[in-house]
Amino acid sequence: MEYLLHIAILIGIYTIAATSLNLVAGYTGLISISHAAFAGVGAYVTALMGLKLNLLFWFSLPCAMAVAAVLALVASIPALRVHDDYFVLATFALQVIATSIMTNWVDFTGGPLGLPGIPQPSIFGAILSTHWRMLVLVWLLAGLFLFLTYRLVHSPFGRVLKAIREDEVLVRAFGRNVFWFKVSAFVMGAACVAVSGSLYAVYITFIDPSSFTVMESIFILAVIIVGGAGTLWGPVIGATALVALPELLRFVGLPSAVAANVRQVLYGLLLVAMMFWRPRGLIGEFQFRSDYKS
Amino acid sequence: MLNQLIFNGLIAGSTYALAALSFLIIYLPTRFFHFAHGAVFAWGAYFCYIFSVLLQLPLWVAMPLGVLMAAGLGMGLEVGIYRPLRRRGATGLVLLLASLGLYVVFQNLISMFFGDETKSLRGDEVAEGIPIFGARITPIQLWIMLAPIVSFGIILSILKFTRFGKAFRAASSDPELALVRGIDVDRITLGAFALGSGLAGLAAILVTLDVDMTPTMGLGALMSGIVAMIIGGSRSVAGTALGGLMLGLAQHLGVWKIGSQWQDAIAFGILLVFLFFRPYGILGKPMRKVEV
Repeated sequence: MEYLLHIAILIGIYTIAATSLNLVAGYTGLISISHAAFAGVGAYVTALMGLKLNLLFWFSLPCAMAVAAVLALVASIPALRVHDDYFVLATFALQVIATSIMTNWVDFTGGPLGLPGIPQPSIFGAILSTHWRMLVLVWLLAGLFLFLTYRLVHSPFGRVLKAIREDEVLVRAFGRNVFWFKVSAFVMGAACVAVSGSLYAVYITFIDPSSFTVMESIFILAVIIVGGAGTLWGPVIGATALVALPELLRFVGLPSAVAANVRQVLYGLLLVAMMFWRPRGLIGEFQFRSDYKS
Repeated sequence: MLNQLIFNGLIAGSTYALAALSFLIIYLPTRFFHFAHGAVFAWGAYFCYIFSVLLQLPLWVAMPLGVLMAAGLGMGLEVGIYRPLRRRGATGLVLLLASLGLYVVFQNLISMFFGDETKSLRGDEVAEGIPIFGARITPIQLWIMLAPIVSFGIILSILKFTRFGKAFRAASSDPELALVRGIDVDRITLGAFALGSGLAGLAAILVTLDVDMTPTMGLGALMSGIVAMIIGGSRSVAGTALGGLMLGLAQHLGVWKIGSQWQDAIAFGILLVFLFFRPYGILGKPMRKVEV
């Protein structure tokens, strides 16, 4: 039972991460493979505030979001000067630099050894140490972010984002400042994924740079692509599929040395397969492909 | 000390230049970032491992076999994945996502088959460096510096003097027009994948002979190659060579001041600087896609 709860918690955390990337990539069309870096920012801020400053999770979470937002702002203003493939490259560069800092700034981040013993959140004295309590917290937040995303996407702001995804030049012709819309989307996405990083930090109570590498970023991207970029429930479906299904492999009895590799191979294959059969994901609307090719 | 750093920079730069050239050859006719190239790179070294260590063939036999197998892998990816995707109307973004997936698959296959430990191709003891100009360089490092020069010479000759080269340049410049003129762009692309992947395999084998191999070696080499290519302008062989050498030098002179653990960050910092201020590189021309 604990195992199932653990899976459910992970699905919830990845739902938040995927929903936040969905805003950036699915709705605005900015393919980014830097999202795990911002999750790492959230995780490390929460962890350090809990460990060094003894701040409660309820305070360190907004701080994590704020720090991630500021960093995203600073990073995205130059990054959004380039488009398409080059933007992906720029986000890749951001991701690698972030991983590099997490690994090498040992005084601050603990380096490759990570930060153990992160304090768990507590409400009115009750520590959220059991899986059930964590599950409730994670899914409450996931529900909150899904709701916020829903409101955002169905607002005029959201419509502009979708329009930018489809035809940026047209939006600019209508007089909208495309650049600032993109920056806003990127910053919001980063702030939200920081939440998933923070949750991960206080759930596992240990973080290290290896949880926030470019592979993780590609994984989050795969989640929204499989589930359906540009829809509300796509990230949920994708998170469930990509977190739960590989777990079934455990019961196949693979040697544990290759189990992690096999999961990665599977999700890589799934990504490729989705490009063939349904680039818009299981329920998505963003086609990722041009309708004008012969 | 400075001399050693400069030579280290040139050696690293040579590796980057070779990796960048291998990537450029594929990028020019196809115009998308074939991320899986990093996996092909690593597989080149591991193919060689199969032939030389597991099958006990001499190195001078294993190396060409490794290169050929790498070329074959690249061609397989083109025929099996990219070409069908293009036929279905895939945009560059779709191909990029597919290539990310392919990279994940093939890198993990290496880990599964060979394990994650560092493996070596060298049978003998570590070579002592030959003193040159006040720096020490091992014989294999000399080969590493020589290989890109020779490769660049060969590629330039192919591009300039052969029919394939001319068709290649045409397809790179304007694929549709090339098709109209009767050039089989698909065949050119296949040739590009063969050439680029083989070159990547060669680069990987050379790197392994210098510093051994791990399953993730391809990612670093790929990114350094892309950085070098972008610095050089993404259009020309000469620019790429220049970009690679500059990157190597900048990186090694940089770590002199701020420590070698920041190597990657320096390379990507340089990439970011170029993307923001001069995306078309040193020898490139402003491109619409990048400037809009």
